[in-house]
Amino acid sequence: MASLCDSDISPAARTGSPTGFPDRFVHFTRLNAVPMRPLYGLFVLTFRELWAKRIVLGLFVISSLLLIGIALALNLDVVEGSLQGLRVFGEESSGSGPSPQSPQSMSLTGIVVAVESVVAGAAYWIGILLALFASAGLFADLQAAGRAELLFSKPVHRVTVLTGHILGVWTAVAALVGYLMGGTWLIMSIKSGVWNARFLLSIVIIVGMFAVMYAVMMLVNVWSESTALTLIVAYGLIFLSLVLTAGNELTPHLGSVGTAVFWGLYHILPNFTEVTGIVTTLAKDQPVYSWYPLISSLLFGGTAYGLTGYLFMQQDL
Amino acid sequence: MTSPAISVSHLSKTYRSGLFGRHTVRALDDVSLNVPEGAIFGLLGPNGAGKTTLVKCLLGLVHPTAGDAQLFGTSAHRPVARRRVGYLPENHRFPEFLTAKQTLQVYGRLADVPHEPRSTRISNLLAHVGLADRRNAKVRTFSKGMLQRLGLAQALLNEPDLLFLDEPTSGVDPMGRRGIRDLVLDLRDNGATIFLNSHLLSEVEKVCTQVAILRGGEIVREGTVEELTTVERVYDLVATRLPEDLLESIDLSSSPKEPPSDPDLYQYRLQADNRGTLNALLDTLRAHDVQVESITPLRRSLEDYFIDVLDAAEDSVPD
Repeated sequence: MASLCDSDISPAARTGSPTGFPDRFVHFTRLNAVPMRPLYGLFVLTFRELWAKRIVLGLFVISSLLLIGIALALNLDVVEGSLQGLRVFGEESSGSGPSPQSPQSMSLTGIVVAVESVVAGAAYWIGILLALFASAGLFADLQAAGRAELLFSKPVHRVTVLTGHILGVWTAVAALVGYLMGGTWLIMSIKSGVWNARFLLSIVIIVGMFAVMYAVMMLVNVWSESTALTLIVAYGLIFLSLVLTAGNELTPHLGSVGTAVFWGLYHILPNFTEVTGIVTTLAKDQPVYSWYPLISSLLFGGTAYGLTGYLFMQQDL
Repeated sequence: MTSPAISVSHLSKTYRSGLFGRHTVRALDDVSLNVPEGAIFGLLGPNGAGKTTLVKCLLGLVHPTAGDAQLFGTSAHRPVARRRVGYLPENHRFPEFLTAKQTLQVYGRLADVPHEPRSTRISNLLAHVGLADRRNAKVRTFSKGMLQRLGLAQALLNEPDLLFLDEPTSGVDPMGRRGIRDLVLDLRDNGATIFLNSHLLSEVEKVCTQVAILRGGEIVREGTVEELTTVERVYDLVATRLPEDLLESIDLSSSPKEPPSDPDLYQYRLQADNRGTLNALLDTLRAHDVQVESITPLRRSLEDYFIDVLDAAEDSVPD
């Protein structure tokens, strides 16, 4: 019977280099041995699991209603590229005379970016908070007694399991956010003829920030195995990010140690609140002056994923 | 020389809990065993003996504190060691939102079974475990017995050479139990090695070739079922009636009984300290014109043996 030891490595890689290929080709052969089938299996399982949750279905229904609302209720009268009138549910949006808010006083682009930035802001806050709530138990389920034994007794590396799971969650959330925001963008662009492509970038940022917060939840979960604590910590960090935006107002009252701790936390923890500014700025098609809140948040998320992977490898299931 | 299917050497596992891991539980203590290819191995032990921990160590689910475990010569913590392994855990839990077929598709992918054999095997296995008509039913609608059969199907998806079964007949009706037993024997006949963890000692006795008894994380007995259940130097003799004078002279541990099949034959239980004594006894019988039909070593049930071993181990524990 053939030995198991090297059966996942091709003969060329196993025997060294029978054809005289240098080591880099052998390395390439090893890369080909990445278990795509189990990875895809995990991806599909996680994606389906998240979509089987009522809250995700609810978010999908709400998004659909919103898109229908935008498509049917919002009427823009555009003549030769300029806005002549705005009707919501068939009613003129302005009063008798021109006002700062009347369609006549607003540009067509202004209306489009206003709608898009409201949707982006709502998707960022409400969408991420609900998506975190919906996905909170997923990783705990993966490690739960009865499920873990079935999963990890397969010839699959724990890193593969983790990667498939993460990709599944990200993709499910990206699909939901993409559906709402992509749909909004498409409807608004077709109605107005204003194609604000930078708005689509905010989809990537929303999914990215969800990924950062999901990393926090996974890290807490792998350490504590408590779904409740996972949510408390994730929502707690979001609340803390609200406080951390007020650094200039608060630090004069904190003393030197307090100020150092405050700014330390500001630079280390995810800047969830400040990233809202980046999302709405992009939706408004304006230049982003500082990407720092996003970059520092992504670094935090990457570190959290790395730590989760390390702890998960050590864990007894 | 081929490696044994399972090789465990001085395996220990201590669980730590509490702040700074101050509370410890020694689940396995210097366990060593070998299971040859093609064997049906039964692991017995009371609750908390460490059976599940041992199986989890063998499947790479739990990291041992010390020692080494190998499957077919490959370290058990390497995923590739599980390529030829199937596992039916006790109290397994499938994702409830999937159908039976979808469940097997997912676990087939995880077991790295290519698409073509996977689809065919899923159909065959669902038919084999009697779930063909429920293939598109959600798992949440399944009874305990049906879940157990689905679990067995997922364990067989990769056509394993080594199958771990943890309480496989739990929640299964007698017909289903018989089916599982026949399946285990079929797999053995096809060269697979089976590692059975069960409380149903009568089932273990029927199918296992080798057993080990685990208690308090240590292996207290190991051997073939025959070795363990044979009562040393006690035999059941079936022969024609022994003369009265001879009956008084030999060491009988029970009075003669008439075997039901033949009225001329009687059954005696006799004790012989060694092989020489046994042969001398047989010579005496022949000298008295006694016709010997059979002489077999006395065996007791595995259940009796198991309880005796645990009682003895209990008695040996100092107060």
